[in-house]
Amino acid sequence: MGYWKDIVVGGRSLVEGMRVTGRALFKPVVTVPYPRRRLEMSPAYRGHIELKVFPETGTHGCIACGTCQRVCPSGVIKVQGVKEHARSGKVATHYVIDFTRCSLCGLCVESCPTQTLQFSTEYELAGPSRWDGVVDLVQRMEESRS
Amino acid sequence: MAEQFAEPVRQHLYSLNLGPQHPSTHGVLRVLLTLDGEYIVEADPVIGYGHRGHEKMGENRTYLQFMPNTSRIDYLSGLLYNHGFCLAVEKLTGIEPPERARYIRVICAELNRISSHLLWFGTYLMDLGAFTPFLYCFDDRENILDILDRVSGSRLTYSYCRFGGVTRDIDDVFIEQTRAFVKRLRSRWKDYHNLVTKNVIFIHRTRDVGVIDKDLALRFGVTGPNLRAAGVPFDMRKVEPYEVYDRFDFEIPVGEKGDALDRYRVRLEEMEQSCRIIEQALDQLPDGPYRQERVRLKVKPPRGEVYFAFESARGQTAYYLVSDGSPYPYRCHVRVPSFGNLHCLTEVLRETLVADAISILGSIDIVVPEIDR
Repeated sequence: MGYWKDIVVGGRSLVEGMRVTGRALFKPVVTVPYPRRRLEMSPAYRGHIELKVFPETGTHGCIACGTCQRVCPSGVIKVQGVKEHARSGKVATHYVIDFTRCSLCGLCVESCPTQTLQFSTEYELAGPSRWDGVVDLVQRMEESRS
Repeated sequence: MAEQFAEPVRQHLYSLNLGPQHPSTHGVLRVLLTLDGEYIVEADPVIGYGHRGHEKMGENRTYLQFMPNTSRIDYLSGLLYNHGFCLAVEKLTGIEPPERARYIRVICAELNRISSHLLWFGTYLMDLGAFTPFLYCFDDRENILDILDRVSGSRLTYSYCRFGGVTRDIDDVFIEQTRAFVKRLRSRWKDYHNLVTKNVIFIHRTRDVGVIDKDLALRFGVTGPNLRAAGVPFDMRKVEPYEVYDRFDFEIPVGEKGDALDRYRVRLEEMEQSCRIIEQALDQLPDGPYRQERVRLKVKPPRGEVYFAFESARGQTAYYLVSDGSPYPYRCHVRVPSFGNLHCLTEVLRETLVADAISILGSIDIVVPEIDR
């Protein structure tokens, strides 16, 4: 490319580019001023897990089988359950997750035989202590119901 | 340039560390440069700052438990890595995913490829000093993330594929959104070309800069768009068609010289080809189940080994898995494309300017955590 041609063609290309930028000024804003306006989370959003409350029983359906505990890649979940009578099934009394180590893969939710796990849509999960990430889901569920 | 460089009167060589904390190295890469004035005498990429031991982790967990790791090896094309790992394990165990799942995977994988290329497009131009294109392509990329978020529930580390299918089925809204996105992206090419491709500053900073020719590329195992820019039409989707890629009509864009401008052009053209694949896949999408039901959580493949190569956004990626019959892989190795792509820099960066080093480093599109893994 010759010197003068370079200047003319190059100069025109810069003007063309500026025109694209100029047009963008009159297009609608695509960002959201976050704390003042929030977007709705998608229905499939994978937040931390929580126990689903079944309306028929009024409580969760966790039988403390420990499948989620075994399938979790990071060893985040600890489940404990008791049998009320010798012949009854187990019911979870403690379901502790360490959210700080969770990678939100969703294997626990998929593997649950009673489908009592679901993802919450919470996403503001920062805290000053690392123990803020350790939550007992059974306790959390009871608190939210009362 | 070479004459100036060849016989200096007095040589004042000095070393310069480019990185590990440099905005243009995209992660923690250190390139140890030996400089003579502004010219690079020797470049030595130092890797390993982001080593997390993914391969070793793979040997200590079940096949399914390694799935979330795969999207973290290369965080920009997480779904492609998920997809590849699924295919590798399916080949090892003989699980057959239903037809619909295959199409869903291909659609999502191609969307992910576009998002990865769009991110490269923005960050590369930001390396070159142009800030505005970054905003436009992130606007487009955000659309893809929203679409994928709707089905997979995650925006970056998807872990969407499962052995024998995917986690969630796609619905009409997804199809509609994807079609709208493809249409929108096509309408954007003109803006991109006006803003960047024709821009004289951009052309001067990329033409004949960082030439990776055919010979060099083959010697260092360079794959992906970098190899195709050198004129070699090598794409795993065509060479060894996996999944349902053999049913689609698409082309492999190739460059001529293998300079930064060619690499740019090839990637832009590749996005268009991905759009074509997505459209055809949406047209052919069959009904039926999206997941095979009878797959155990702890898959136990028979004794044996598998090597499965696929095309990720950066080039030929492969999983090598050895099974000893237990639910845990005996060996899990990942072949990453960025490693070969990065190490040809030792040759390419020689006798170039420091300012061009940033342009070259950006143009080969490396993801450093993928190399370190």
